[in-house]
Amino acid sequence: MAEHHISAAAKIRAAVAQDLLSGRISLLLGWEKGHFQWQSRPLFARDGADLERLAWDSFCAVNLSRYLPEELKENEKVGVLVKGCDSRALNRLVQDRAVPRERVVAYGLPCPGMLDAGRLVEAAGGWPDEIAEANGRVVLKGGGRESEVHRDSLLLDKCRHCLYPDPVACDQLLLAPVGNREAPDRFKAVEEREQLSAGERYAYWEKELQRCLRCYACRQICPACSCRECFVEQEQPRWLGKAYDASETFLFHLIRAYHVAGRCIDCGECERSCPVGIPLQELNRKLIKDLNALYGPYEAGLDPEREPPLLTYAPNDPAAFTEK
Amino acid sequence: MPAAVNGPAGQAPAGERQTSAWEPLIVAFCCNWCSYAGGDLAGTGRMEYPANVKVIRVPCSSRMNPLFIMRAFQRGADGVLVAGCHPGDCHYSSGNYHVRRRLSAFKQLLEFSGLEPQRFQVHWISSSEGDKFAAVMRSMTGEIKALGPNGKLRDRRWQSIT
Ligand code: SF4
Ligand code: SF4
Repeated sequence: MAEHHISAAAKIRAAVAQDLLSGRISLLLGWEKGHFQWQSRPLFARDGADLERLAWDSFCAVNLSRYLPEELKENEKVGVLVKGCDSRALNRLVQDRAVPRERVVAYGLPCPGMLDAGRLVEAAGGWPDEIAEANGRVVLKGGGRESEVHRDSLLLDKCRHCLYPDPVACDQLLLAPVGNREAPDRFKAVEEREQLSAGERYAYWEKELQRCLRCYACRQICPACSCRECFVEQEQPRWLGKAYDASETFLFHLIRAYHVAGRCIDCGECERSCPVGIPLQELNRKLIKDLNALYGPYEAGLDPEREPPLLTYAPNDPAAFTEK
Repeated sequence: MPAAVNGPAGQAPAGERQTSAWEPLIVAFCCNWCSYAGGDLAGTGRMEYPANVKVIRVPCSSRMNPLFIMRAFQRGADGVLVAGCHPGDCHYSSGNYHVRRRLSAFKQLLEFSGLEPQRFQVHWISSSEGDKFAAVMRSMTGEIKALGPNGKLRDRRWQSIT
């Protein structure tokens, strides 16, 4: 890994060690390396030995805030490393009263954007054995080949569209801010889809949703999906059948998207964690776009004091149907 | 009639498409205090509206869970309507203000998924608007008839009982 990443990980370790070893927090949520260099998985650090494994590199995409509600059942105080998107996820959970803010110590990590393993493989022409980064470029080695590409070309989709790479809320900023980023228009795909006829749109979604495994990883990773009992598992009434009928999959997707409407922070974790590439962000962004247009611009997860659009109203609100 | 099996790409069951006597099924969720009473008034005033409309009474339009709408389409509705008190007249003072936002968002999401706009409608009908109740039911039935049977969002295992 790149030099600055190694030293950054050491810096982070040093900063959190005191809190963990002194018992101010009994658990630190971070990342550690998985089996491959292009994998960094969640780390649940409870002592100094665990902390040794802490990693901070270009593959720490998993949002750790989502583990807080569960871990706070067992721990009085939990520390968590938050990137920009993770910090908005934390705000989301706090605003939804799924996480008491005073029981969390958030360590902020300004984020350079995380890399997409799929794009790495494509650029390297196979799985790379070695990944090295310097000055905004990535050198990939493997299978007798060596390629050098611009780092930006390897970014995850969710990072391409990220507007807030610096944490918007944390107790302690551990690294230097990277500054807000310019992102391509996030509503472009939605607008293109809106141009299609109803029949074409239905055919599009039928084809896309056909791949859905209904593993519910998209819900599980979602910081807005913190219900104790999800409608998906509810028995009385049983809203969602277990069969793989297209209508059940449509029902799941439309209701999931609707349930997070106005609260979705657009972190893209649902789409990133989906094993079969369902364009979940298109549904989420459709709702963000419409709610912004109807009820005024709102950026979920930025300000926990500002009420989400579907939790409030104004008597003279417009409607998307005729009110005659 | 043989058991209907859903056709491809959101088309209605073959049995339904071929039957010239096809009549649309419209599910109307009406709020107890205004629109349901408006329907009563239409009835006692002997105003005619099509028998295609099946009314389900809800305590308030804001009782609407979008799952009700999805379930209706799954089980064979060709159109779904939600009717409630005019904004400002909610029995619980703010129910319909909330639902105006929610159903606006959900209606556009349904359309984004490929449902025709006419198939899901929201109308404000007061308890004194028996004539409006009948007119809305007539016009929606006409619009759905023109569109034809709905197969989108329909559960393939659901059997036609026409
Ligand atoms: S993660 Fe993907 S496959 Fe799994 S339920 Fe969500 S959309 Fe379906
Ligand atoms: S899909 Fe809906 S019910 Fe399920 S966890 Fe998310 S918000 Fe809650």
